[in-house]
Amino acid sequence: MSQDKPDIKEILVTVKQLLESIASNSKGSERYDALCGAFLLSVVDRELELGERQDESQSGELQHLLGREGTLADLYQQFCQQVRRGEMDEEWPAAFDFAFKQVIDKVSVTNPNYLADMHRPG
Amino acid sequence: MAGDSGQQALLDDIVAKLELALKRRYGEASRVENTSIATLGASNRTLLFDLVEPSGRRRLVLRQETLKSEVSPFISPHDQFEILKVVYRHGVLVPEPIFELEPQDDLDVGYVMACVEGETLPKTLLNAPEFEVARKNFAAQTGEIFAKLHAIDPAEVGFLEKVVDSVDPLAAQISRYDAYCEYHPGLDVGIRWLENNRPKDKPRVFVHGDYRNGNVILSPDGIEAVLDWECAHIGSAMEDFGWVCLRAWRFGNIDQPVGGFGPRDEFYRAYTSNGGQVIDEEDIRWWEIFGSLRWAVLNMMQADGHLTGVRRSLPFACCGRNTSMIEYDMLMTIKGHFS
Repeated sequence: MSQDKPDIKEILVTVKQLLESIASNSKGSERYDALCGAFLLSVVDRELELGERQDESQSGELQHLLGREGTLADLYQQFCQQVRRGEMDEEWPAAFDFAFKQVIDKVSVTNPNYLADMHRPG
Repeated sequence: MAGDSGQQALLDDIVAKLELALKRRYGEASRVENTSIATLGASNRTLLFDLVEPSGRRRLVLRQETLKSEVSPFISPHDQFEILKVVYRHGVLVPEPIFELEPQDDLDVGYVMACVEGETLPKTLLNAPEFEVARKNFAAQTGEIFAKLHAIDPAEVGFLEKVVDSVDPLAAQISRYDAYCEYHPGLDVGIRWLENNRPKDKPRVFVHGDYRNGNVILSPDGIEAVLDWECAHIGSAMEDFGWVCLRAWRFGNIDQPVGGFGPRDEFYRAYTSNGGQVIDEEDIRWWEIFGSLRWAVLNMMQADGHLTGVRRSLPFACCGRNTSMIEYDMLMTIKGHFS
């Protein structure tokens, strides 16, 4: 990571402000595209902040649940295939809880305001 | 995304061909006027125009298929046109079908139907003061429409039996999900739950398949027309109930399950009092959870259109990340926190 200024977060904020300003001064598809662009940058911002910690925690839980190691992508694949084949039925509460937690992690990045109070941080 | 000049050239080309297509059917004196592209939807392009003849003027709509994908979840425009003819004959509120495009029209595949005046934008419908009466009527009117639709003999649309969603709707969604080679733990847990809790067989009826806030034209008085028949198939009547009540189609009005407009009891009562079958609320819940899977997969399809370059678009890019919220709805509904 570069130590020069502006840092990544500042760059994101700067471009997001530009897109929001375009959105407030335009109509129709241009406005909608600009709003989508600003939304996607806020996703990037949150993923930079939360992503690494989420990956580590999910990886640990999946290794425990599946009894094997691997990249997070491999573990997701393994988990999904085993759930689909019914091989996790006997550990259903644990499998469901992992999937639920993973989804809450993803929503925390995509749109934390969407979460019900019981899942909001703090 | 096409620029303004690219869009204009496309429109000019379509209008020129459309005018020839109309002259072939309505005579040399017929003309096209007042054209505008209404939507560039997920699967269709919609063009509004006036057909001008010596005898008068009619506002019509051209629908052309724009999505050509091996995993397209949509029935062909030919079948859509056949459906429009059937439901129009039965008095279901739909735009009058006018004619189907033919190869010599050189306009791809699609059809022309009457233009029904009104509004389809969900947030406008849910918030604008002039739609207050329409909002009050929506749940009961939808119950009446479903009763009429589900009473149509499925043999009249027997060609829909071959649609994969008519054979096994859950297997159809799973196969579409698998086509994108993505792994979503939330979706797979949901799929397993759906497999383990499949509803008992119900009488097979003709279902719309995509009846929701956004696919219905409303005037201030109420529903004027039901659009977007490209997901029609044969299945359980409860599937249509689950889809219109999906949380995504409430557009923030989560306390009004029927499209964000009204309560379930009015909806169910109107259905049964108009001859509809017995309502099974557990089944409807299953179909709502199924609906989340389906909506998540449709969002993956939009994101795929962006990522493969077939239809580059910022909103479609957002769809890919929106799946997380749909998965959240799905699991919260399974847990009993959402209804």
